[in-house]
Amino acid sequence: MSRLSHVIAAGRPVGRLVERARALGGPVLGLAVGPAQVADELARTGVERVFWFETGPDTPVEAQALGLAELVANRPGHVWAGRTAGERVLLGAAAAALGAPVLTDTVDLAAPDGRLVARQAVLAGRVWQTVTFDRPVAILLEGGSAESDDSAGPPAPVEPMAAQPYALRQTDWRPTGRAPVDLKAARRVVAVGRGLKAESDLGLIEALARALGAELACSRPLAEGLGWLPKDRYVGVSGQQIAPQLYCAVGLSGQAQHLAGARAAEIIVAINSDQQAPIMSEADYILCGDLYQVVPALIKALP
Amino acid sequence: MRIVVAHKWAADPQEAIVTSDGRIDQSRAQPCLSEYDAVAIALARGLADSVGAELVGLSVGGPEAASPLATKTALARGLDSILVLADQALASADSTTTAQALAAAVTELGDVALVLTGDCSIDRGARMTPAVLGGLLGWVTLTEVSALSLDRTSLTVERELEHGRQTLVLSPPAVLAVAAGAVEAPAPGMRDVLAAARKPVRQLALDQFDGDWGPLGQVQDRTLAPAPDRRGIVIATTDPTAAAAELIARLERDGLTWAGRP
Amino acid sequence: MPFHLTDEQEIMRAAVRQFAEAEVKPLAAVLDREHRPPLETIPKLADLGVLGMTIPPDYGGSGTDYLSFILALEELARVCATTAVMVEVHASLVATSILHFGDQAQKTRYLPELAAGRLIGAFALTEPGAGSDAAALTTRAEVDGDDFVLNGQKIFITNGGFAGVFLVLAKTSPEAGSKSISAFLVDRDRPGLSVGEPERKMGIRGSSTVSLLFDDLRVPRSALLGQLGQGFSIAMRSLDGGRTGIAAQALGIAQGAYEEAVAYAKQRVQFGQPIARLQAIQWLIADMATDLEAGRLLVYQAADLEDRGLPFSDVAAKAKLFCGPMASRVTHSALQILGGNGYTEAYPVERMCRDARITEIYEGTNEIQRLVIARAALR
Repeated sequence: MSRLSHVIAAGRPVGRLVERARALGGPVLGLAVGPAQVADELARTGVERVFWFETGPDTPVEAQALGLAELVANRPGHVWAGRTAGERVLLGAAAAALGAPVLTDTVDLAAPDGRLVARQAVLAGRVWQTVTFDRPVAILLEGGSAESDDSAGPPAPVEPMAAQPYALRQTDWRPTGRAPVDLKAARRVVAVGRGLKAESDLGLIEALARALGAELACSRPLAEGLGWLPKDRYVGVSGQQIAPQLYCAVGLSGQAQHLAGARAAEIIVAINSDQQAPIMSEADYILCGDLYQVVPALIKALP
Repeated sequence: MRIVVAHKWAADPQEAIVTSDGRIDQSRAQPCLSEYDAVAIALARGLADSVGAELVGLSVGGPEAASPLATKTALARGLDSILVLADQALASADSTTTAQALAAAVTELGDVALVLTGDCSIDRGARMTPAVLGGLLGWVTLTEVSALSLDRTSLTVERELEHGRQTLVLSPPAVLAVAAGAVEAPAPGMRDVLAAARKPVRQLALDQFDGDWGPLGQVQDRTLAPAPDRRGIVIATTDPTAAAAELIARLERDGLTWAGRP
Repeated sequence: MPFHLTDEQEIMRAAVRQFAEAEVKPLAAVLDREHRPPLETIPKLADLGVLGMTIPPDYGGSGTDYLSFILALEELARVCATTAVMVEVHASLVATSILHFGDQAQKTRYLPELAAGRLIGAFALTEPGAGSDAAALTTRAEVDGDDFVLNGQKIFITNGGFAGVFLVLAKTSPEAGSKSISAFLVDRDRPGLSVGEPERKMGIRGSSTVSLLFDDLRVPRSALLGQLGQGFSIAMRSLDGGRTGIAAQALGIAQGAYEEAVAYAKQRVQFGQPIARLQAIQWLIADMATDLEAGRLLVYQAADLEDRGLPFSDVAAKAKLFCGPMASRVTHSALQILGGNGYTEAYPVERMCRDARITEIYEGTNEIQRLVIARAALR
């Protein structure tokens, strides 16, 4: 089996993916989708070559799925990508071209004797399984932070690709008020759940986040059902999976699907009025009480 | 013209029992139509009505996917008919195998303008099946779709991305994964449930299609995920000020500092 | 005798559960606290097709079997007993009586309105001097030309505060005996009808329970339901089916309390472990689960007999006699498991305890059920 790896970059840093792909021991090629800058950044991450699929300002990366899949089909190997919507579609197209399984929720990955050995968390993180593969696989993993993106040595050559993109055009873009956030890079995170009574109370939680020097995050219902916060701020099995030093869960019950995204935190603080909430048995510090009393007290007490 | 909603008859992993040696017992977990799929069907029903298209459900999975309970549950949500590809080999199939089976069924069905799916499946939650399906069909694939409209030649799609709302124009066919909160999916009415029994159900057999439907990897072992090693220190909140002080003191002892905050 | 629900019954149950969780459960504590009926839920229940489950599609209903309706009641009661009894009286007592005994004009006029929730039905039988002894009622309906003129008083009339149509039982002849009673469909806007203040009750506090006063209330002859003198048998037939409905309400209340108790027992830690690991709690849970299983089979059996056109009266009475006290037992055990928390309004179990108690009383007390059962057994 080929030990070749492809790493897909679609506008976000992927240094850690390249690092992990290299750890498997084979050559690593970069597949850049986006403007020239994406290709240039990918070229400096330690990949051997970069194949660049250009997209214009009004074309989402998904338009290049077909061309990217064709390239991978001609050079079979493992394919790596991050977890955004666009990255998933590109990875899926590559997996389709190869007939490759897609590995999600991977805890550990190694290639000891040419076979690939993956440890995966399944059943919403309740069970770990070891699976071996004798074929190329598609691997969905967190990309990694910008600092890890610069490797020593000269940049890899960039080869523009002339694939015919899908006819797909952005006609309107309305940004949400909030700035994009990289939760993965945050050392401290304050996450809020349905214990918050009203959207207008978000200010209170934001104030706590500021006082703790933390990023603001939430559970899935707040981002999707209620839409109080943008989707890049929700933590969970299908959202962000993070490993901060401090994870402070406020009014958040902590269903398995949510906790799967925060379990790797070093310290978990739970502030919740429901003593029975699952988060209470997965926390280092448990404050069972009304968040509307505890949070203001915390903000006031923080130096 | 047909609009297809691919949906999955599956159980919530929360319902499964995991034994101490990592064995998964699904016998007590009742499969259901997830709310993600219900949202996709509700959105698709509105779209199909707006263009006069036929709305076909497509379910791929183990033998229970073909049970009358499974098909009627989906039909009661507003599908015109349902196509089922059920086989033991697909019972715990991964995203790629599931997508291959879906692609085979979509191709067999023919005249399909759109395949819609829910945001994710309830059992695996990998959110990869639409992407692989789109790749197999060679169709434009978009996820996180919150609204769409179709006229004769073009499809307008809106989606909520991480930092904004995007409008896109494309030509069908396409595979679209519908965002979890795109529309309300209210409970089906009693009349809809009774009407479901009279709607057509068509079954496909896996051996109609070429391909190796075996597992793509070999599971070597399963263990219970390691239990969280947490301290579980309870801080009383009867006096919030004292509670705050104690938490801060403990966090400081753990090495957190408050200098250099942005 | 294995009991299986059909696919349709399972799907309807799931649909009503989804609806109940989303639309009914969030209101339950509010209705209880504010002593007010769930008026905002009525159009939603109509859209779902629940208000018309006992009404055929020809009359605008959803026309399900009776067991499906019973499952819907159970699911509503699981989260809100008040909402369940509103639907039970409306669909089971009033709509069913019009369907079985109404003439074409009455069916055409009332059933589509009842199915659509534009009219809610109330059943006016009980009087200050006629509770369990229903035949002792004294409200009179006297013939006056082409009309009947009603005079008298009714009490404890469920849905009475907002119902659009009342099924009223009144004496049409001065003799004693059940043949002297007739049934009338009385519209709310008839002059001579006055509706009293709602009762302040121990439980089902959101349910509108009022007294009615008829003062020379005039209805046309076309308001007579069934034949002259058929009223008592109409009332008894309605209450036979109604028993299964109240048994289902009791079952649902018990199920709701049971689920609260199980969830609590798994999470609540005392003596260093979840209390579910303590045998004292396990035995309570085991008894509750057994109670529920037994009650469920009785209720479904009664509904199934009715669906198959077989005699069901005594089985319905058994279902109600078992499930009413069962709901009291199970809700009290649940409260015991929740301990001090269960006694507070922060948890729904104290409300469920209060709500359960009425199911031993209304639509035939435990004692009346025993009478029905013994009569059938000794026939």
